[in-house]
Amino acid sequence: MEEMAASQENDSEMDCSDNEDCYDYNDYYNDEDSDVEHIDLLKIDPEYFEYKCLSEEEIERLLNETVEDLSNRLRISLSLAKVLLHSHYWNSNEVIVKYEENPQQTLISSRIDPPVPPRNIIFTPTHMTCPVCVTLHHVDRFFYLSCAHMFCKDCWTMHFEVQVNQGISTAISCMARDCVVLAPEDFVLKHLQHKTSIREKYQHFTFQDYVKSHPELRFCPGPNCSVIVHSNEIKAKRVVCDQCKTIFCFRCGCDYHAPTDCQVIKKWLTKCADDSETANYISAHTKDCPKCHICIEKNGGCNHMQCYNCKHDFCWMCLGDWKSHGSEYYECSRYRENPNIAHESVHAQAREALKKYLHYYERWENHSKSLKLEEQTLGKLRARINEKVMSGLGTWIDWQYLFTAANLLAKCRYTLQYTYPFAYYMDAGPRKELFEYQQAQLEAEIENLSWKIERAETTDRGDLENQMDIAEKRRTTLLKDFLDV
Amino acid sequence: MAALPRRIIKETQRLMQEPVPGISAVPDDSNARYFHVIVTGPEDSPFEGGLFKLELFLPEDYPMSAPKVRFITKIYHPNIDRLGRICLDILKDKWSPALQIRTVLLSIQALLSAPNPDDPLANDVAELWKVNESEAIRNAKEWTRRYAMDN
Ligand SMILES: [Zn+2]
Ligand SMILES: [Zn+2]
Ligand SMILES: [Zn+2]
Ligand SMILES: [Zn+2]
Ligand SMILES: [Zn+2]
Ligand SMILES: [Zn+2]
Repeated sequence: MEEMAASQENDSEMDCSDNEDCYDYNDYYNDEDSDVEHIDLLKIDPEYFEYKCLSEEEIERLLNETVEDLSNRLRISLSLAKVLLHSHYWNSNEVIVKYEENPQQTLISSRIDPPVPPRNIIFTPTHMTCPVCVTLHHVDRFFYLSCAHMFCKDCWTMHFEVQVNQGISTAISCMARDCVVLAPEDFVLKHLQHKTSIREKYQHFTFQDYVKSHPELRFCPGPNCSVIVHSNEIKAKRVVCDQCKTIFCFRCGCDYHAPTDCQVIKKWLTKCADDSETANYISAHTKDCPKCHICIEKNGGCNHMQCYNCKHDFCWMCLGDWKSHGSEYYECSRYRENPNIAHESVHAQAREALKKYLHYYERWENHSKSLKLEEQTLGKLRARINEKVMSGLGTWIDWQYLFTAANLLAKCRYTLQYTYPFAYYMDAGPRKELFEYQQAQLEAEIENLSWKIERAETTDRGDLENQMDIAEKRRTTLLKDFLDV
Repeated sequence: MAALPRRIIKETQRLMQEPVPGISAVPDDSNARYFHVIVTGPEDSPFEGGLFKLELFLPEDYPMSAPKVRFITKIYHPNIDRLGRICLDILKDKWSPALQIRTVLLSIQALLSAPNPDDPLANDVAELWKVNESEAIRNAKEWTRRYAMDN
């Protein structure tokens, strides 16, 4: 163990030279034990992710600590520290390095100071006309930011009120034409002193902006959920919200999408939305039995179909014989590209591109439907078990393993669904071949598991648990090899 | 209705006393925040010789919010759509309370002299303006003759 820890430490150190993710390796040395543990956990579980679900108050405290710390180190006001942090995605170290190197330039690029310093302000008159309200006021009533553009108190207040009502907060700038200087928090709040509801709105919006600009924070996308997730690892990993149980990707905040990465899944979902009409005809609920041609309706999630008429076993996706399918699942999930397509006409290429897309889309869509159907199966299962328990056939605890199996099935099929966009965008080559091989393996084991769960009462418990184990192993193997976050 | 802010009164007075060349802006008899505007098509532009009617409205929170301006006369221009809405940065995110009705109208006049098809509002017009500028200019002249003259 001692030796292993040491060598892992060296690896990580090497990585740090060109890896921006190693920003907190101070913690790494202080917290050696837990980090070794962390690496071990990642080896077992490629989806392992450390995060905390926090409340707005806890996040506010966390942000305030960062702000105070920077304000002390650079001897600037809290308000300016906030502007600097917000414009640097809350990376204190970057702000400090930049500021120590060139404070003036840092203040200009963060829009705290104007690009050209203002001329000296000399108050000769006792009264001045405000350029916005064109009213003569005593000079006491004038206020200005670092750019020295002077406006009266009432105009500033009105300006902030209108901006906040439009949802603008951290981006409010000076009122002068083409002036880019931002109004820092203390300046805004001072002018909204007597406007309680606008003040509150302003503080709400700034908080939203701060969280959104902070790469280590992510609002839970669950409906009406106020949880904010914090993690030091800015990665596309799975988060389950403590409060509302929503599952999402930490990096992009969308539905979790391993093994596909954030950009690719976005591209895929956009493509699916754009091509939804072309793909519409696919959503068939019925197909004809390939042997006796009787019409079969799919009412379960499992893609291993058995004709109720002739008992022929076939695959719902490709209509191939299920018996040979087991060993050649590969032929069902992968798409065989035409190797000579480059020499074909533009028209043929377009047709081929559509065919390829539909192949992947059909499978993506089918697994998504299967997930929903399997949820219904689980409901029916729960009702049947309830009956059994009521009539004295075992206890709920005895039947618990079936629910565990159903949950595992859902988790595996979810990953399987997201392997299709991954494969669609993959370049041909040995890596894609390996991926398709593992995908086919996972696919086969998932359908076996689904088949067994649908026939739960007659399936042997040991057999089912064995199948669960195999399916999850296939899933983890695929993620270990291809989840690159 | 609240009393008219001093700022609006001052701006209106100045618009009447020293009008911008080629632009007339007259407040409505019943609503001092609503202006009837006529812009003369700038020389050496496809809009030359035309008189373009616009409406300009100062919202309640003017000058903290930009005036609302719209062309009433039909015009063939890449930054003005079928409904007469204008794509102009100072009417949107680049608005500053220090800008005035006068500056807005001058910017609109400048937009007629120099259409910007790279920041389009009327997409088909902008497209033609980019691929076949001479045809687009011919269309703009034709529309000017048809909709902005003799009325
Ligand atoms: Zn004022
Ligand atoms: Zn300024
Ligand atoms: Zn939540
Ligand atoms: Zn993501
Ligand atoms: Zn059959
Ligand atoms: Zn198949």
